Amino acid sequence: MGNENIGSNNLLDILKEREKELNCLYMVDEILENHQLSIPEILKEIIRVLPSGWRFPELCRARIIYKNHSYQSPGFISSPLSETSDIKADGNIAGNIEVVYIKEVPKTDEGYFLFKEKKLIKSVADRIGQMLVYRQMKSVMSGWEDLKTNPAASENEVKEWEFLVEFLKYTDHSMLLHICRKLTNYLLILGVNEASELFNCSTNNLTDDGGYANYPAAAEPMGDITLICENAFNVAKKYIGAQELKNQIKRWMQEENAYSLIKVIGSNSPSLHNIIEALRKFQKSSKNDELLFSPKGRWLTVGLIKNFLSDKPDFINIAAQYLNYNDFNDIINRIIYPSDSRGRIGGKGTGLFLANKILKKEKDNLPQLNSIKVPKTWYITTDTITKFLHYNDLEELNEQKYRDIQEIRLEYRNIIQLMKSFSLPPEIINNLSVALDDLGDTPIIVRSSSVLEDQTGASFSGKYKSLFLANQGSKQERLNALQDAIIEVYASVFGPDPIQYRAERNLLDVHEEMGIMIQQVVGTKIGKYFFPLFSGVAFSNNEYRWSPRIKREDGLLRMVPGLGTRAVDRLTDDFPILVSPQQPGIRVNIVPDEIKRYSPKKIDVINLENNTFETIEISKLLKEYGNKMDNINKIVSVMEYDYIRKPNFFEIDFEKDELIVTFDGIISDSHFITQINTVIRTLQEKLGYAVDIEFASDGKDLYLLQCRPQSIRDDTAPAPIPQDVLSKDIVFTANRYISNGLIQNISHIVYVNPEHYSELSQLEDLKTVGKIIGKLNSFLPKRQFILIGPGRWGSRGDIKLGVSVTYADICNTAALIEVAKKQSGYMPELSFGTHFFQDLVEANIRVLPLYPDNEGIIFNEKYLNKSRNTLKTIFPEYERFEDVVKVIDIPSVSDGYNMSICMNADLSQAIGFLTPHKIKLSHKRRVVEYEDYTGDDKAWRWRYHMAEQLAARIDSSRFGVKGFYLFGSTGSGTAGPGSDIDIIIHFEGNDTQLKELESWLDGWSTSLAEINYMNTGYKMDKILDVHIITDEDINNKDSFAIKINHPADPAIPLKIS
Amino acid sequence: MSTSSYNPYEIAQQQFDSVASKLDLDAATCELLRQPMREYHFTIPVKMDDGTTKVFKGFRVQHNDARGPAKGGIRFHPMETIDTIRALSMWMTWKCSVVDIPLGGGKGGVVCDPRNLTEREQERLCRGYVRQLARNVGPNTDVPAPDVMTNAKHMLWMLDEYETIHGSRNPGFITGKPVGMGGSLGRTEATGFGVIYVLNEALNYLNIPVENTTASFQGFGNVAQYAVRLYQQLGGKVVAISCWDEADKKAYTFRKLDGMDIDALVNITDSYGTIDKDKAKGLGYEVLPGNAWIEQDVDILIPAALENQITIENVQKISKQVKVICEAANGPTTPDADKVINERNIFVIPDFLANAGGVTCSYFEQVQSNQNYYWEKDEVLAKLKIKMTSAFKSVYELAENKKLRMRDAAYVIAINRVAQAVKSRGWV
Repeated sequence: MGNENIGSNNLLDILKEREKELNCLYMVDEILENHQLSIPEILKEIIRVLPSGWRFPELCRARIIYKNHSYQSPGFISSPLSETSDIKADGNIAGNIEVVYIKEVPKTDEGYFLFKEKKLIKSVADRIGQMLVYRQMKSVMSGWEDLKTNPAASENEVKEWEFLVEFLKYTDHSMLLHICRKLTNYLLILGVNEASELFNCSTNNLTDDGGYANYPAAAEPMGDITLICENAFNVAKKYIGAQELKNQIKRWMQEENAYSLIKVIGSNSPSLHNIIEALRKFQKSSKNDELLFSPKGRWLTVGLIKNFLSDKPDFINIAAQYLNYNDFNDIINRIIYPSDSRGRIGGKGTGLFLANKILKKEKDNLPQLNSIKVPKTWYITTDTITKFLHYNDLEELNEQKYRDIQEIRLEYRNIIQLMKSFSLPPEIINNLSVALDDLGDTPIIVRSSSVLEDQTGASFSGKYKSLFLANQGSKQERLNALQDAIIEVYASVFGPDPIQYRAERNLLDVHEEMGIMIQQVVGTKIGKYFFPLFSGVAFSNNEYRWSPRIKREDGLLRMVPGLGTRAVDRLTDDFPILVSPQQPGIRVNIVPDEIKRYSPKKIDVINLENNTFETIEISKLLKEYGNKMDNINKIVSVMEYDYIRKPNFFEIDFEKDELIVTFDGIISDSHFITQINTVIRTLQEKLGYAVDIEFASDGKDLYLLQCRPQSIRDDTAPAPIPQDVLSKDIVFTANRYISNGLIQNISHIVYVNPEHYSELSQLEDLKTVGKIIGKLNSFLPKRQFILIGPGRWGSRGDIKLGVSVTYADICNTAALIEVAKKQSGYMPELSFGTHFFQDLVEANIRVLPLYPDNEGIIFNEKYLNKSRNTLKTIFPEYERFEDVVKVIDIPSVSDGYNMSICMNADLSQAIGFLTPHKIKLSHKRRVVEYEDYTGDDKAWRWRYHMAEQLAARIDSSRFGVKGFYLFGSTGSGTAGPGSDIDIIIHFEGNDTQLKELESWLDGWSTSLAEINYMNTGYKMDKILDVHIITDEDINNKDSFAIKINHPADPAIPLKIS
Repeated sequence: MSTSSYNPYEIAQQQFDSVASKLDLDAATCELLRQPMREYHFTIPVKMDDGTTKVFKGFRVQHNDARGPAKGGIRFHPMETIDTIRALSMWMTWKCSVVDIPLGGGKGGVVCDPRNLTEREQERLCRGYVRQLARNVGPNTDVPAPDVMTNAKHMLWMLDEYETIHGSRNPGFITGKPVGMGGSLGRTEATGFGVIYVLNEALNYLNIPVENTTASFQGFGNVAQYAVRLYQQLGGKVVAISCWDEADKKAYTFRKLDGMDIDALVNITDSYGTIDKDKAKGLGYEVLPGNAWIEQDVDILIPAALENQITIENVQKISKQVKVICEAANGPTTPDADKVINERNIFVIPDFLANAGGVTCSYFEQVQSNQNYYWEKDEVLAKLKIKMTSAFKSVYELAENKKLRMRDAAYVIAINRVAQAVKSRGWV
C-alpha cells in the first residue's frame, strides 16, 4: 500500500514539473514569434519568463549574454548551482544562456537540475539561435528586394551580387569559400593571372603537369577567408561584367545547396537516415532544377540509385537515364527504416518505381499513358528484417537455410508462430502507425520485395509471400494485423520452398534480405467484398500464340475479374481471358460454346466482414451484387443460346441472364488495350528487355502493380540451341512461330504419318486414329512423350485436316507438334492447338508447328518411319494401323538416348534431337542407372524404396495378393517430387479381402503422402495409385494387366512376403 | 490428294445408292438425287483490318428443293471442300424429309479460319458472302442457318445485308437468330424434348407403359438434361447418368436405383458441366466408372454424348433387360455394334430421327419469321411434339410393314418422300 502511495505521489510531482517546463517553452516561443519586438526586447522577455519552468521558480534566476551585452533577472548572482547552454547562430557561438539557483535547493537523483530542465535550457538556446539567423537573413533579403524595385539597372546588378555575397557572409561561410574557389577558377580559365595569387597558388602548379605529376602536391597555406573573398571579388569586378558575375554566383550557390547531400552520398556507406535528411534539406533549398542536367546532378542521382535501389551497373545505367534526384521524393516520404539503416527498397519495389518513372517521363509524347497510376506505396527497407531478428535475439534463424529440407519444413510452421510472438522494433512500429494513417482503412497488400528476387535472374515467383489485409477495425487492430503480416512475410525467408529454390540456383550462400512494400489494394467496396473490376498480367512477348497472324512481339495479356492472383499463376480449375494487346481482334475462342467454357468462373476478393481473402463463384457474386458493380457490363456478356452480346448495364437481369466473362466491352469499347499495349511497348523499349507487368483497374484508371523482366520466368526462358548435334541425331528443326521453352527427357514419340493418314478412306478408321492417340495418352509415361501429326490436332469440322482428338486424349503429352506438309501443291493451315488452346496454356503443353518443305529445315522422316514401331506390342488390336500410327520407344531404338526439344524464339529456331544425357535404361533390370545426372533423384529413389517396403510388408495370404508391380514414373526412374507411385496388384482373393487390402493400402497412401509433403512440399491426399487386376484381366489383357511385360513402360515385379 | 482417301461425298452417294436400290428408284431420279441441283462457287474479297484485301472462297449448294426451300447451315472452315458441302447438303434433304417438314436440303461454306479473323473482318466476310448470293437465296428459295464456327452473330449480319440489298425486312431469310431478333422460343429444349417425344411414342407402340420403365443416360449436357426432365415428367425413372469430369479428364457414372433428382444434380454441377462426386455421394448416389452406364439393368439406354460410344467392345455388356436404345447423340453406335444390337432384337430409334427436334425447331423459327408472329414456348413445344410423334409413326409403320430395321426405314422414308416430290412436280 505504502509503496503505491509513494509511487503515485512521485508520478504527480513528475507530471507537475513537465507541465511547468512545457508552459515555459510555450511562453518562450510566443515571445520569439513576436516580430514587433527587437532582439534586446526579446531577450529581456525571455529572462522574465524563464524561471517559471524550473523546480523552484522563486529561487531561480536567468541571464543571457549576446553581443557583449548581458540581460539578466533581477537578483541574478553567480552560483555553483548553475546550468549553461551556448546560443549558436549559423554554426557560430553568438552568446549563452545561464540559469542559477540563488540558494541551496534539494538535490535529486539527477542532480540539482533535472534532466528535462537541462533539455529545456538547451531548447531555449537553440530557438534563440534560430531567431537570430532568421532576423539576419530577413534584413539582407529586404535590402535585396528594395534594390529590385529600383530602376537603375546596371548599378542594381552590381548591388545585387554584392548583396548575395553579403548575405553569405552572414549566413554561410563554407558556401562563401566555395564560391570564391569557383570564382578563382573561373578567372584563371579566363586568363586572369591576378587570380592565381588569391589562394596563394601559382598558376605554374596547375599548368606545368596538369596535375598528373607522380608525387604528392604540397598543401598550400590558406589565408584569412574574409580577406581572400574580398580580394577575389575585387579582382572579379575588374574583369567580369556585373550581370555575368551575378549569374555565375547564383549558379554556384545553387550547386552549393547540394553540398551536404553530396557530402553524405560521397561518404563511405552513408546511413539512409543521413541521406534522407540531406535530400530533404536539398529539396527545400533548391528552387530550380538547374543541377538536373549537370554532371553533379547525374552523380547525385546515381548515388541515390545506389543507395535506395540497386548497385548493379546494368541497372544503374538504365535507371540513371530516367531518374533524377527529385524522383526520390516519392520514396523518402514513405519509407520506414531502422535508425542506422543502410538498406534498400528491394527488387520488386525497385522494378515498380523505375517503371512508373519511365511512364511518367514518356507521358508527354504518349497521351495514352496519362491515366496510368501506381497505388500509394510505403516501403520498408531490406535490412529491417535483420534489425528485427537482432532486436528479438533471433539471429540463429539465419542458419536455417543450411539445415535438412525436411527439418526446415517441419520447423517452418513453428518459426512463423515463433516470429509472430515477437515484435518489430518500436521505431518501426511507430512508423507503421504513420503509414497506416496515410494509407487509410482501405485494404492493403503486404508484398515481399527481396534483394534476390527479380534481380538475379531467378524470379522467386510466388516463393515469398504477398499478403492481403482487409485493414478493417480499430487502429490498434489494423496495426497488429499489419505487423503480423510483415513478420509472416519475413518468415517466408525461412520457408522450405524459397530455400530449396535458392539451393537449386546456388543462391544459398548469397545473403538474402527482405524489403516490404505496403500498397493500397486497387478496388471498390461492393457489399461485403472489396476487389478491382479486373486485374491481370501483361507480357511483351507472346510465348503462346493462337494464330499465325499474331507475332511474338504482339504481346500477351492474361486478365481476370477481381484480384489478379488468378491471372498470375497457371490455373488448374479455371481460365483467364487471353488477349494479344497488339492484335486484340484476334481472339482465342470464337465459338460461343468455347467462349463460355474458357471464360473465368471464379473471382478472388477481400471479404471486409471476415477480414479474409476469398475465392468465390462469379455467378453467385453477380446475382447478389451485379447491380452495384459499375462497368460490369464491360467485362461480362449475355449469352442467349449461341448468341453472345455486350449488354447495356441497365438491361442486365442479374437474376436470370446467363452472364459470362468475356471482357468484350473492355477490349472493343475502351482504351484499356491501347493503354496497356503502350505501357509494355514503352517499358520494353526503355528498359531494353521484354517485360512482365501486373496491373489492376477499378474500371476508371489503370494501375501498375509490378514490373520485371519477362525472361526470368522459368517456363519462358529461351533455350540455347545446341550447334554440335550430329545430323543423324536430329529429329526435326523448325524456324517459324517459335516460342521459348525447353522440353527434356522425352522417351517416346507418337507419330501419325501424314501421307498414310490421308490415305485412310473410311471415316471409322480416321476416328480410330484419334481413339488410339487417346489410349496412348493414358498409357505412355506422362509428359515424357510427344505427339507429331499432320495438320490440325483436334480438328472438329473436318477430320481429314488432322487427328480428331479432344483435350482429354492428349492431356499427358509434353508437346503437340503439327506438321504442315504440302499436299497437291497447297499448304494446310495449322491450328496452333486452338481447339483446346487454353487448356494447353494452363498445363504448359507446348505447340510447335513444323514446315518440312521449307528450305533449311530438317525433318527426319527416316527416323520416324524406319524406327521399330511398338504400337502392336502395346495394343495388338490396332496392328492394322501400324503404317499410320508409329510409337517409337526412343531409348530402346537409339542406344538409350532420350529426346530433347530446345526452342528459342529470339533466334526463331527450334530443334528436336536425341541426346545421351541424363538417363539410360539398363537392360538387365528395367531400373534406371544414372549417367552424368546432376539433378535431384531423391524423389524417385525414395518412392522406389517405399514401394519395395510396401511389397515386402504386404501380407499376401491375408489379403489374397499374388503379385506386386511397380510402373509409371517410379518404375521408369523419372518420378519427381509431385509424382504418384503407380502400383499394380495381382489379386486373387474374395470381396472381404479386397476391402481389407484397400483400406491397408489407403492408410499407407495417406501417410506416405504426408511424408512426401514434409520432404518436398508437394501436397497430395494420396500418393499410391493402385490398380487391382485379376487372372481374368491378365488373360484378357485388360486395362493395366497389359503393363506386365509391357514393351514401352513395363511394370517391375517387386518381391512380396 | 490420294484418290483412295476418305471422301464424305462419295460415302453419302454410296449410302443413297444402297437405299435407292431398296426403293428400286428409276435411273433419272437416282441421277437427280445423288448430286446437288445447284452449286454456287464464288470469291469474296474482304478488306482486312490492316488495310490489305484478302480473297476468300465461298460455296452454296442447294441439293434439292422439291419439297420446299433449301435449308442448311453455313460453315466457316479453313479447309472447306466442295465435296464436304455437297455431302452435307444431301444429308439435310433427307433430314428435313424424315420429319416431314416442307423444306429441301442445302449447305454453304467459306474457306477461312475465323480464329484468325477479327470480329470486324468476320462481319465483312458475312456481308460479302450474302452480296454474292443475294439473288439466289431467300425465305422462299434457300434458308441458311448457323453451322460449324458460325453463330447467331453471323446470322444477324447476313440477314441485315440481305435485307439491305432487298430493301425490305425478311426475317424468314435465315434461322438461328436470337429471341427478340426473329428467333424462336423453345430452341434450348427442342432436341432433348424431341428425343423423349419419339421415345414415348415408341413405348406406346411397343406396349410398354413409360411409367414402368427405367433408363440410363450417357451424357449430362443440354440435350440429356432436358431429355431427363421430360422423361421423368412422363413417369420414367432414371437410375444412371454418366457425366464427364473436367478435372479428372474422364467420365463417371452416377447411379441411384430409386431414381434421380435432376434438380439436385444440376445444383451440384459446375459451369463445366461436371457433377461434384463427393456431393453426389452425399446425396446417396453411387459413383461408378464412366462406362458403367451401358451395363445397367434398365429398359432404355439413351446415349446423349458423343459418337462411337456403343462399340463392338462394350456392346455385349448391354443388359438383357434393355428393350430400347434411343440415339440422342449423333452416330453413337458403330456399324459392327449395330449388327449385334439388331441380332439381339433391341429396338433402336436412330439418331437421324431421334435428334431431329433441332431442325424442326429451326423450321418453326422460319414459319414464325415469315408470318412475323411469334409463338409462346408452350405452343412451340406442343407443335414439336406433334411433328416428332407423327414422324416416328411413319417410320415405325414402314419398318413394321416392310420388315425393315428402324435405321433403314428412316432413310427409306426420307428418300422416298423426296423422290415422290420430284416425280409429282413432273421433273422426272
